[in-house]
Amino acid sequence: MKIKGVHLRSATLFSFCIIFSFIIAAPAYSKGEFKLKAGARGKICLKCHETFKKTLKSRYVHPLLKKGECTGCHVPHTSSHKNLLNADTTKLCYECHKKVLPENARSAHQVVVEANCNKCHNSHGSNNKFILIKSGNELCFDCHKDIGDNIKNVRFKHKSLEKDKGCLNCHNPHASAKSNSLLRNSMPALCIKCHKTNKSTFKRQHMNYPVAKSDCSSCHNPHGSNVRGAIFDVAHAAVTERKCDKCHQKPSSPNPLKIKKQTTQLCRECHRDMVAQTFNKNRVHWPLVDKVGCLNCHSPHATKQQKLLKGPVANVCGTCHSDTVELQEWSINNPKNDRLCEPVKTGNCITCHSPHASDNVLLMTQKSISVDLCGRCHEWETHSTHPIGEKFVDIRDKNLSVTCLSCHRACGTGNNPAMLTFSSTYELCIQCHIERRR
Amino acid sequence: MAGILVSVLFLQVPFSGAAVKFRYITSVYTDDKGMPLMQPEGVACNNKSILFVADTGNGRLLRYTFKDEAIEAGAVEIKADQLRYPGKMKMNSKGEIYVLDGKQRTIIRMTPDGEFKNYLAPTGLPSPSSYVPRNFTIDMKDDIYILDIFSQRVLVLDPEGNYLRQIPFPEEYGFFSDVAVDSRGSVLLIDSINAMVYAAAKDSASFYPLTESLREYMRFPANLTTDNRGRIYLVDRNGGSIIILGQDGSFLGRQSGLGLKEGRLNYPSQLCINNKGEAFIADTNNSRVQIFEMVE
Repeated sequence: MKIKGVHLRSATLFSFCIIFSFIIAAPAYSKGEFKLKAGARGKICLKCHETFKKTLKSRYVHPLLKKGECTGCHVPHTSSHKNLLNADTTKLCYECHKKVLPENARSAHQVVVEANCNKCHNSHGSNNKFILIKSGNELCFDCHKDIGDNIKNVRFKHKSLEKDKGCLNCHNPHASAKSNSLLRNSMPALCIKCHKTNKSTFKRQHMNYPVAKSDCSSCHNPHGSNVRGAIFDVAHAAVTERKCDKCHQKPSSPNPLKIKKQTTQLCRECHRDMVAQTFNKNRVHWPLVDKVGCLNCHSPHATKQQKLLKGPVANVCGTCHSDTVELQEWSINNPKNDRLCEPVKTGNCITCHSPHASDNVLLMTQKSISVDLCGRCHEWETHSTHPIGEKFVDIRDKNLSVTCLSCHRACGTGNNPAMLTFSSTYELCIQCHIERRR
Repeated sequence: MAGILVSVLFLQVPFSGAAVKFRYITSVYTDDKGMPLMQPEGVACNNKSILFVADTGNGRLLRYTFKDEAIEAGAVEIKADQLRYPGKMKMNSKGEIYVLDGKQRTIIRMTPDGEFKNYLAPTGLPSPSSYVPRNFTIDMKDDIYILDIFSQRVLVLDPEGNYLRQIPFPEEYGFFSDVAVDSRGSVLLIDSINAMVYAAAKDSASFYPLTESLREYMRFPANLTTDNRGRIYLVDRNGGSIIILGQDGSFLGRQSGLGLKEGRLNYPSQLCINNKGEAFIADTNNSRVQIFEMVE
């Protein structure tokens, strides 16, 4: 049909082409709004930032960099953040990698919680998978030095650490929804993926006890050890001698894993003298006589710690006495406290306190918290010209003599220097020397 | 009628939310012969201002009378072969003294004159029959409540030691150091590790948490008592202070603090409050007993 000499069909086609061209040109038009050259979002950056040309040749490159989209993370002109980033480093990665830290995580890697992704990853590219800055276990051992040294030096190694994924065979590097310590699964489910508990060798090695549902790390060091079977280096004799029935019911009994008696009563059967000596004292550490007994502090099977403690001394004591351990840590972190008591610095509570029982208050190992106790390490006689000792009465309390604790607090004093009970020497002295008050 | 109305209007309704302060009165340092106290760990008191002190370091009890804001002369020393390491103490309505001996981990009962009567031997205990008394208390009916940390329960006995009932510990807890009973018959426990108070209503068979963790207010509460207004008092051993809670567990205040001067406390072990508003504290590491008046 013709309208004033123009075919309708042709007009429609022409209009369509105009509209289509407009649609196609629109983005170009918006680019044109900033008048960006081609490659301005990334490729142009390489003209000045030449080092990234090498990074681009890496085996693994961040997808944004690969696409030439530096502006995915960086602002080209100005930014309030270091390195011209779009956002603070604690938030930037999570804008895309949201699922790295799940909400219901039972444990999370500290660097992930702190969003310190660059501790492990190169933001741009590397020759290691997942653009890690190092490959394999070496990356983990940068921080976890002790574990790394242990793994390298032990006689009986955990073979999974030598396999392809290394640490990541058992641990999730970011977070775990299933277990603590970033384990991919709880124990023993994690272990029995590789260690088949229905094999006759397994049963024989465990004296036919049904340990398939037990916590393997109660005996075994998952990082390896110097004891056959990768049992922790400090093991209960009954474990290394495979005399499980010393404490547990017979393997053929209806409840084989049940222990024969309450813990302290059971321990007494072998540690007779020690238990007798303990209960002969005036004061017993109360957890020793509760239902859990010795196992409040000790592992019954094997550990890394001497005396079969569940952990380092401060950690074990801190399970209950967290207030005191926190005070110690506060004191250690205080720069004014350059003269800290050695047991406080090392968290060795048992230097001064008996962990089981004592005839002295606060389970002190010595009766006098002064000459007898502190004097073992500190030369109190040359400490100062201040009178110290039983002959000198503390004027604040006539039943007390002037001792170390008249001025110092033994477990730390937070912000106060030299473990003094007050924030300055002046404040301390005028407690007694009132005439010296300004 | 008008008189009744006026009485009702001005009736002193017990208000457990009222703040209370401790006004220092005096301290007890020695017995009558001048022998100093040594790390006393227990105090017991009654409404007649009789004060018993467990002078733990010296292995004895001392009986004092407190009157007109002073300790009267004539303190009585009580020693017994059966009493080796006296710790926490309580008095019942007849004036009999109950003492937890720390070395034997048993409760000793003594006459009001301080003579050994017997060891408290609970009878008729259900299984498990073994128990270890971490602490104990006595209610207004003279029933005895034992904090049994071995079998994880509170045992309730009649004044003769016969088993009445038990209340098991809750599923999750840190470590219970003390038990108290308030005027309503509710049984209270203090969890020292988590700084939480648990309660079991009168005749109830289970505990519930009365408070959340109060760690921000105290370091290591190890002793618990109540007054006749329903307030709960926690002795913060490591913090050297007394924490006051309302009957509902709400925080009402904190008194004293760590120190050696009079009015300050140094690892206190036990607090006793009588109906006259007198508070007696075994100030253990300061080797004295301090006496305060509670002022509202």
